[in-house]
Amino acid sequence: MIDNHERIEELLAGYVLRSLSGADAAEADLLLSDHVPGCRRCRDSLDDFQRLSADLAFVVEPMAPPETLLPRLHRELEPQAPRRRPMQMFAVAAGVVAVVGLAGLTVSQSIRATNADVRADDLANAVGFATRDDARMVEVGPVQGISAPGENHFYVMGENVPSPPAGAVYRVWLVSGDAPTFVGDFLPEAGDVFLSIPFDPSRYDDLWISIEPSDAPTGEPSSAEWWSASSSPAAA
Amino acid sequence: MREGDRDDLELHRSLASGDRGAFDALYRRYSGSAYGLAYRITGQQVLAQDVVHDAFMALWRAPEAFDPARGAFRTFFLSLVHHRAVDTVRREERIRARQERAANLEPVAVEDPAESVIDAADVAGRRVEVRAALETLSPDQRQVLEMAYFGGKTQVQIAEEIDIPLGTVKTRTFAAMRKLRTVLDPMQTEPDDQPGDRATS
Repeated sequence: MIDNHERIEELLAGYVLRSLSGADAAEADLLLSDHVPGCRRCRDSLDDFQRLSADLAFVVEPMAPPETLLPRLHRELEPQAPRRRPMQMFAVAAGVVAVVGLAGLTVSQSIRATNADVRADDLANAVGFATRDDARMVEVGPVQGISAPGENHFYVMGENVPSPPAGAVYRVWLVSGDAPTFVGDFLPEAGDVFLSIPFDPSRYDDLWISIEPSDAPTGEPSSAEWWSASSSPAAA
Repeated sequence: MREGDRDDLELHRSLASGDRGAFDALYRRYSGSAYGLAYRITGQQVLAQDVVHDAFMALWRAPEAFDPARGAFRTFFLSLVHHRAVDTVRREERIRARQERAANLEPVAVEDPAESVIDAADVAGRRVEVRAALETLSPDQRQVLEMAYFGGKTQVQIAEEIDIPLGTVKTRTFAAMRKLRTVLDPMQTEPDDQPGDRATS
C-alpha cells in the first residue's frame, strides 16, 4: 500500500521533470502551496529531486552555442533605453479599453478596466510598475505586457492596436507548461488597450494573445494568429 | 559544498551587483551544458539558442530568483534551462499542430547538431557520475525518465506512446528518481518497500 507521502513524493518526482498534466499538475500545485512548505520530508524530497533533475542535464554532451549568442547577450546587457515616461505612456489610458466576454475567468477575479471605469488605483499601480527599475516589458503581438517581481498582477496595454476582423476578439491566455487557461477577451477602443490582469506568477509561464471568433470555445486557442511571451517577471 | 559550487556562488553574487565579468564567467561555465541540453530537448538550433539566451537574460535581470539556501546554482540554472526547453517544445508542438491543421504542412526537420565542447572539470566529473547512475536503472525506468526529461513528454503522453497504464509510468518515474537519489547521494537510503508497477493511475 502506498502511504500518503509516497504518493506526494511520486507527484513531486513528476513535477520536477515537468511531466505532470491535468489533475496531477493541479494536485501538485496544491501540495506545493499547502503541504510541502510545512513538511520537512517533502521539502527534502523536492530539493533532492530538483538537484537530480538538474544533474540529468549533464548526461548530454555539452555543445558550443552559436558564436553570435554571447555578443547578442552583451548587447542586451547594455543599460536599457529610457522607458517611456508614465504620463506619455498613460496619456491614452483615460480613453481606454473595452473588455468583453469575461466568462470563464479562472485565474482570479477578473480582468479589470473598461473605458468608463479605468480605476485610479490601477492606473497608479501601472505607473508604479512602469517606473520600477525591475519592471519588465514584453511585446505580445500588438500590445505590451508589463510585470514586476513580487507582484500578483500585470498590465497589458497598447496604442494604435488594430481592430480584429468583424466578429473576432483578442483573447488573453495564461499558460502553465503547455496548458493555456482562458482569461478573457478584449477589443481595442479607438486603438487603445489597458488591462489589469491578476495572476499568480508562480503558476504561469507564458502570456498568449490570440485573435479568435468571439464565439470560439475557450479550451485553447483555435486560430493561427496569436502571439506569446513569458509572463514571468524574472524572465527575459 | 563542492568547489565549483562555491565558485558559482561568488560569481552569482558578483553578477547580482551588475558585474558583467561574472556574467561572462557563468556563461563560459554553463553555456555548453545549457545549449547541449536545450538542443537535445528542442532538436533545433534556433530554438535551443533562444532557450539559452532567455535563461541567461533571466539570470541577469532577476538574479534574486536564485536562492542559495535552496541548492546549488547549477541546480537552479540547469533546471531553468530544462523547463524553458520543455515549454518551448510543447509550445512549438502546438504551433506546428495548428499550422499543420491549417496548411497541411510537413513537420519541421531536425537540424544537424553544432560542434561539441569541453566544459569545466567539475562539471565533466559530475557527468561521469550521473551517467554511471543512469546505468543502474532498469531499462523500463530509464525509458520513462528519458522520455519525460529529454523528450519533454507528459506522463499521460508517455503512457499513450508506449502503451502502458499511467500508474505504471508514475511508479517507474518515481522509482527511477529514488534510485538515482540513492546512487548519487550516498547519504540517502532507498526504502525497503519499493512499490512495484501499478496498473492504474
